[in-house]
Formats: sequence, structure tokens, C-alpha cells
Amino acid sequence: MTFRSKLFLNFMIALLLAVGLVAAGVTIVTRRVFDQLNGQHTDAMVQQFQREFERRGQDVAHRIKAIAEEEATTRMAVDLSRPNADVSVYVHDARGVSSSHQLNFLDFVGNDGSIISSEEYPARFGYKLSWVTQPDDWAARGAFLMKVETDQGPALGLMAVSTVRVGDRDLYVVGGERLGKEFLSSLVLPADMRALLYLNLASEFQEPNLIDINGPAPDADRFQPLVEKIEADPVEQTEKISWGFDPSNAEVFKALPQVGRQKELLGVLFVGSSQRTVVSLERRIRWLALGVAAVGVLLGLLLSWWGAARVTRPVQKLVAAAREVSHGNWGSRVEVHGHDEIAQLSKSFNQMTGQLVEQREKLVQVERVAAWRELARRLAHELKNPLFPLQTTVENLQRAREQNSPQFDEVFRESTGIMLGEIDNLKAIVSRFSDFAKMPQPELAPVNLNDIARNVVKLFEAQFGAVGRPPITPELHLQENLPIIQADATLLHRAIENLILNAMDAMPAGGVLMLRTQTIEHGVSLEVSDTGSGLTPEESERIFTPYYTSKQHGSGLGLAIVQAIVADHGGRISVESESGVGTSFHLDLPSSPPHKPQVFPMVFEKKEVEA
Amino acid sequence: MLRRLAVISLGLAVLFAAIPARTSRPPRYGGTLRVELGAIVASLDPATASDGTSQASAAKTQIDALIYANQNLDGTSTGTPGTGPFALSSWLPGKSATLKANDKFPQGRPFVDAIEITLGRAFRDRLLDLELNKTDLTEIPPQDARHAAERGVRLSQSPPDELLALVFSENRAISATETHPRQALSLSIDRAAIVTFLLQKTGEPTGALLPQWSSGTSFLFSTSADLPRAKELLAQIAPAPKFVLGYDSADPLEQSVAERIAVNAKEAGLMVTAVGAPPSPSTTKTDSTPDARLMRVPLRASQPAVALNRLLRDLNSYAPGIATSAALSESASPQIIYNREREILDAFRIVPLVWIPQVYGLSPRVRNWTPPGPGQTWPLADVWLDSPETNTTSPHIKDPE
Repeated sequence: MTFRSKLFLNFMIALLLAVGLVAAGVTIVTRRVFDQLNGQHTDAMVQQFQREFERRGQDVAHRIKAIAEEEATTRMAVDLSRPNADVSVYVHDARGVSSSHQLNFLDFVGNDGSIISSEEYPARFGYKLSWVTQPDDWAARGAFLMKVETDQGPALGLMAVSTVRVGDRDLYVVGGERLGKEFLSSLVLPADMRALLYLNLASEFQEPNLIDINGPAPDADRFQPLVEKIEADPVEQTEKISWGFDPSNAEVFKALPQVGRQKELLGVLFVGSSQRTVVSLERRIRWLALGVAAVGVLLGLLLSWWGAARVTRPVQKLVAAAREVSHGNWGSRVEVHGHDEIAQLSKSFNQMTGQLVEQREKLVQVERVAAWRELARRLAHELKNPLFPLQTTVENLQRAREQNSPQFDEVFRESTGIMLGEIDNLKAIVSRFSDFAKMPQPELAPVNLNDIARNVVKLFEAQFGAVGRPPITPELHLQENLPIIQADATLLHRAIENLILNAMDAMPAGGVLMLRTQTIEHGVSLEVSDTGSGLTPEESERIFTPYYTSKQHGSGLGLAIVQAIVADHGGRISVESESGVGTSFHLDLPSSPPHKPQVFPMVFEKKEVEA
Repeated sequence: MLRRLAVISLGLAVLFAAIPARTSRPPRYGGTLRVELGAIVASLDPATASDGTSQASAAKTQIDALIYANQNLDGTSTGTPGTGPFALSSWLPGKSATLKANDKFPQGRPFVDAIEITLGRAFRDRLLDLELNKTDLTEIPPQDARHAAERGVRLSQSPPDELLALVFSENRAISATETHPRQALSLSIDRAAIVTFLLQKTGEPTGALLPQWSSGTSFLFSTSADLPRAKELLAQIAPAPKFVLGYDSADPLEQSVAERIAVNAKEAGLMVTAVGAPPSPSTTKTDSTPDARLMRVPLRASQPAVALNRLLRDLNSYAPGIATSAALSESASPQIIYNREREILDAFRIVPLVWIPQVYGLSPRVRNWTPPGPGQTWPLADVWLDSPETNTTSPHIKDPE
């Protein structure tokens, strides 16, 4: 990953984190605000319900009191106060009176608590309603919730009691309104709110007892945990109920316990607030935030890219310049803008490359001088060998001439013969140097490296086992089906020849010469190893330098020629050597050399050496 | 107390029958007798069954008896139309019928020229029409008789001749041999409250199949509720069975009695659900199929043995096997009749509740009206109408109060 990408990525992560944090913060704050508003809304509705409930209670108490004060009721009370009063004539009265006063429940109850007439349970006449006769200030109590027995089963009623006293006997008027769907329908609720009422008329939760304005509420079982929680602890509870996966279908219910005279739990009112509006607003805000965030991220993306590019451009220039330096262009320079760290780094780079160029020029000069010196030394050394006999021969010839030796002719003949021989030596020396100078370019053709290796080894077989010399054992480990490569067979032959000669020179006491070929990526490789004395690190460093040799009679051109041939084929050569163990040369040759031979720097230190 | 009440009722019935003979005013021919009925009769053909309600069936029987000369034992008519005291003049099925006096009736021409019968008239309207002299004769539900009397309506009441009973159908939730639940239900019922409150004292509580005035042994059958005994019986059964009690949904009296029985049973620990159901027993058992139902069975004869035989025959139509013994002979002794009643009632498949009289509302101009006895039809051929100028309340009609 590039520095620019990393920088860009860091910018983006920072940006996304910032946007995410802001979005999360906005969402949380928004939700809290909405929840708060929703809670206030629900509380307002609860208060409205409580006011309505109170108003209904007052209304019921007022109507019951009105019935008690009616003349017909007074007449009934007077009649029933007489001994042996016939109560049967009043058995149907409750129905008519309740109808005229729009009450769902109405009972006329005698002094002993016996029901004289009942609207909600007409067949229950004669039975006792004993709780009515218990001491209580009914007028002060007002309306209260009560479980009412009817001929259709138990019901929940908002009840009131009024008494008509004649003499020492009371006639009780007990009546009220049913708390049911009609009651819920009368509550004015906003469109996104609804009210449900659970009638706690049985010992266990019963789904049909949960009603809304249409009757039994659907999915009543979802309310069971809340009802049971309130049964355990009859205080206000708030809970959210989700209707499916869509959060907009959820409702927040505030559950209000409804208790009777004895504080028994008779019902639970649920005021539900739909989350549709809230969720819709939240979604709108979220989408808006997402839109803004997307635009922000996009802008941030562009700005990050621009910023990263701006920051990394000088670095990239430095990288490019460093790469050029690594490719040999030591004179590479970068432009310097500003005074920041990058600018200082650029200045330092320019100074460094300047110093490198300067050092290289100095080194080249030194090496050139050293090369010339070496060349001079080698030439002097090479030339000195034939020159010395020549000088001696010429001196002998002069001396013979001055002495008029009778053997002058013989001496002359011998001397000229020696002089011609030495001159031939001089020619040979000059020819070798000339050959190195005139290395031909490879003529490429399909060749099999195994064949070339076998041919070369075959040429040296006689020398490996020559009499008077310790034997050298050749070992060939040539890979079968080695790919054919494009190469100059003659040049490769010469290179392998030089490597074998080099190995033979390295094993004066005999040893094993091993040649190994194998397929490598994009080409083939050849390893030539000996079990000689090995090279020192210094020798390994300089072994491919022309005219360098560690041998007494070497020209110092053999391995330089090998390196030149390998380089001309676009390959690379390396040397591994361990003192006392042996030396291995590795030649990697491509299947097809590039058009222009590459120039590889030479690397030593045992490992790969690129030619 | 009950025996005394029965004796009084019998005495009143005899008195009602005797009073016309003492009427000094000569009968008057002419006029149209206006009759309003609550039932809806769809056909007057005796061969055609009524729509199933007992009210409609009874009304059809009464109208047919005016047109046809011959009556069967069950009250239905046979023979040729127009052989009766009246002939059908016009007929709007379910709405009205007009009958004209048959001048050739063998027992003599009826006093009135015609009878206009209006069908399907609600009780409230009939009562109002009676008060406004827009009708001359109508039926008054026994539970409303007291109310009608309080409003000054002229009433005529027969001896109690219709049995309201609880009849358990066959093969219901309880096995035929297990009588405890049925006995418990019987013991839980407060018959006195039914008469006092629901029938407004128009009727007699009974534990017998025949009324006291007929058999003279009705008082031997207990009518009082015994809640402790009922609970004791139910304690021997666990769990207590549930009953579905059917009633004729068109009959408000049956409905109110059924609901009261449910309340009484609840006090004893029995779960009874009252449901409105058609009179005929259902062959398929469902949760709402009645295990028992309330039935109003008319007394079809005054003679106790005959009355019991016919009563049991009627009950057998709903609950087959309720009485498997052979019919009693007409000359059966009161002891035999009592034993037969006891035998049937001890199985608790039939629980007699109340004997109910027939109550009629009359306009002041109606003369010579006598409430029909058991198995008899309306004696409209003997009724004559007073002229408008002599239109006063007849001294021989006594209000129930």
C-alpha cells in the first residue's frame, strides 16, 4: 500500500469516525427528545383520561343521586318500609329507570341488602348485595370501580351508591356505567394514540378481557406480561410493544392500574402511542443526516485525496528520485518547495545525490587509475616474461657478434628462434586482450543447455583423468526435459568452458566437479560447483573484475568473459563460496533474452550476483 | 298455603262457570267481535303444521275450532271448513282473518255476525287497543296480568291449566341412572320466587304433574327449594356437571324463568347456561345443545287420569321414554294416579315448576264469555256484544286482584 493510500485511508477513517460520531450523537439526542415529547404527549392523554374518568364518576354519582331523589324511588322506599311489603311489584323497575338515565347497571337494594330489581342481572332478585349494607358514606365516596355480576358474566363498572332513608330503613340505589368499548370510544384521542382496557375479572390473564374501541383487542397475548407485572406491583408502567419487524409499527404503552374500593386491581388502562410519527421523523432526520454525511464523506474523500496527494507528492518525487538513484542515475535531483520537513528532506536528498555523484566520479577516477595500474601491472607482468628472454637473447647475440665467435651462426640461429618464439608469446598476449575487447554480440537460436553442458564436459574428460594429475570427478545433474532457450550456443559453450577451467584450477588436488541444470521462473539455471579451496570474501567481491586473478598464470579475463556472456543473454550470475569447502557459480538464463542486454549490478557476498 | 290457594282457584273457576247462568240481560245478536292475537298464523289448514311456536299452534287451533265442527283429542280440527259456528270470509296469512257467522250451524247461529281476528299484534299494542276499546278480546301473558289489571283492564282468568316444567332430554350429559345432578337442580329452584316475581303471582308453584284442583294430591309434592340438600348431593359428584337449559326464545316468560333457574343453580354450585333454542329437540349434540329445556304443556282434560295420560304423551314428544308404563285408565283411583306421578317425578327427568292460568283481556261490551277449560276452545259462538249505550263493565267478570 502506498504512502498516499495509507494517508488517504487514515484521513477517511478519521472522517468516517467523525461523521459516525456526529450522526450517532444526533440520533441519540433526537430520539431522547422525541421520547421526551412522546412521554409528555402520553402523560397529557393520561391526565385527560383521569379527568374524563373523574368527570364520568361525578356524572354517574349525580345520576344515581337523581334516581334516588325521584318521586317513584321515594314511593318505593316508603312502600318497602311497610311491614310485609310486596317487593315483587318492583322487580322490573330497574330496567325502565336505568334506560331513562342511560345507565348500564342499576340495582334497587332493600334494607337487608336483598336485590329488589336489577338491570344487569334481572334474574338475581332476592339475592343479597351485602357490600352495600356495610357502613360507608356513599354520598362522600362518589363513584368507584367495581366488578359487577351480570347475566352475561362479570363486567367492570364505574359505580355509585345513593340511599333513600324512610324511617329506620334504607333503600339503596346502586348503579353505574360499564367500562367497555363504549367508554373507550368516548375518550378523545389523537390519531396516533389509542386506549385499551384490560378487565381484570378473572384470576388469570384472559385475552378476551382486553378490549379496544372495537371490542376484544387483537394480539392481546402481547399485553399479558405487562398485566402480570402490574398485578404484582400495581403502579404505572411503560413498555414498548413491537408489532412486527418495522419499528414504525411499535407502540409505547403506558399502563395505568385501575383499582376498586378495597384497592383491588380491577383493570388496567393502556394508553398507547404509535411510534409511526416518531419513527418517520427519525427516519427523515436519519436520511437527511445520511445525505449530509454522504456529501460530507464525498467532499472529505475529495479533500482527503487532494490533501494526501499534496502531502505525498514531494515524497513521491523523492521516491522516484531515489529509484532513479537505485537504477544508477546518481545525478537525480528533486525540486525543493517551502521550508517544511519534506523540503529539508529533499534538500538533504539533493545533497546526498550530489555527494554520491562526486564520490562516484572520484571512485571512477580511482578505479580507472587502479584498473590502468592493474592493466599496466598485468601487461608489464605478461610482457616482462617474453621480454626478459628477448633481452638475454639479444645480449647473447651481441656478445657473440663482438667476440666473433665461430658459433655465431649457431647462436644467431638459436637466438632468432628464441626471439621469434617470445615474439609469438607477445602476440598471443596481445591477442587475448584483443579478444576480450572484441567480445561478439550473441546470435540467438534455440539451444538446449543440457547438451552444451554435456559437450563441454566431454571436451575436458581427458584432462579430468590426465596422468600425473589428481583426478577430478565430474557429476552431471541435468534436469530432464529442460526447456529450450534462445541463446548463442558458442558463447554459452565458452562461458561453461571458462567456469570448468576455473574449477579445475581451484582443485589442484582433485575433487568433484558438479554441473546442475534446472528450470526456474522464466528460464533455466546452471550451477557449476567445485570442491576446491574456496574464495575469500575479498576474492568473491572482485572475482568478476577484468584482469583480476588470484592465480599465478591467469589473465583475469575468464570470469569477466563469463559475466559478459551471461549479461549479453539478459541473465545473471552469482557466486557462493565457502573457504575450504568449495565454490558454486549460478547462472540464470532467461528463456528469451530481452532486445537490449540488461546491465545488472554485481552483488557478491555468497548470494545472488547479477551480471 | 298452596293447597288453600288451589282450592280458592278451583272455587273461582266453578264460580266463573256458574255466573253466566245468572245473567239477567237477554243476549243480543249482531255486531263484530274484534280479536287481537300475538301469534302469527301462516295457514288455517288443519293438515298443515304450524310454524313451530306453541303460541302460533295454539292460535291456529282456536281459529280452526271456529271454522271446523270436529275436534281431535289434541285439540286439532277435522272435517269440512265452514261446518263450524263460523265460516272464513277473508284471510291474509299471518296478518288477519275475518269469520262470518254460520247461519246453518247445527247448535244454533252465533250471536255475533262476524269475528275480525288480527294476528301478530304486540302485547303492548293489544293492551293499548283494549284500553281504547279498539279490540274486544285478546290474550294477556300471565306475567303481565297484574300490570294490566293495575291499568284497569277487564281480565278473565282460567284455572291454572298450563304446566311450566323443566324437561331433561334423553342421552344428554348425564346418564339416565344418575339422578343426583338433576335432583340437585330441582332442589335449587325457588318456585315461589318464580311465581311471585316473574309471574307476578299469577300462577301456582307446583311439584306435581297435575294441578291441585284436578288431582287433589299436588300438595304432597314439595315445591320449596332446599339449597343445603342440593349442595350435599352435588358434593357427592365431582366435578359438578354443567347444564345447558333451553327455552323458547319467543317466550319472555320462559326466558326469565330459565335465567332465574341459572341463578338458583349457581347458588347451589351448578353451572347452568340458559340458551334460546327451538322447541324441537336437536339430534346432534353441541356445546349449546340443551340438556334440558323449559316446556309449557297445556292440560288437555279435567279428568286427572286422562289429563296425566295426555300430558305424558305431550312430554314424550320431546323426551322419549319419560313415561314407559301403560296409560292409566280413566277410572284410575287418586292413589294410582299419585303413584304414577311419583314414579315419573322420582326419575327427575321432568321437574314441574308452575301451573299457569290463561288470562284474557276483554272489552266492556263482551258478554257471556267464559274462559275455556282444559282441552276446550274459545266459546266465541256463545259470546254476544252489548250495545254501545249499555256498555258497562260486566259484573260477572272478576279481575284477578
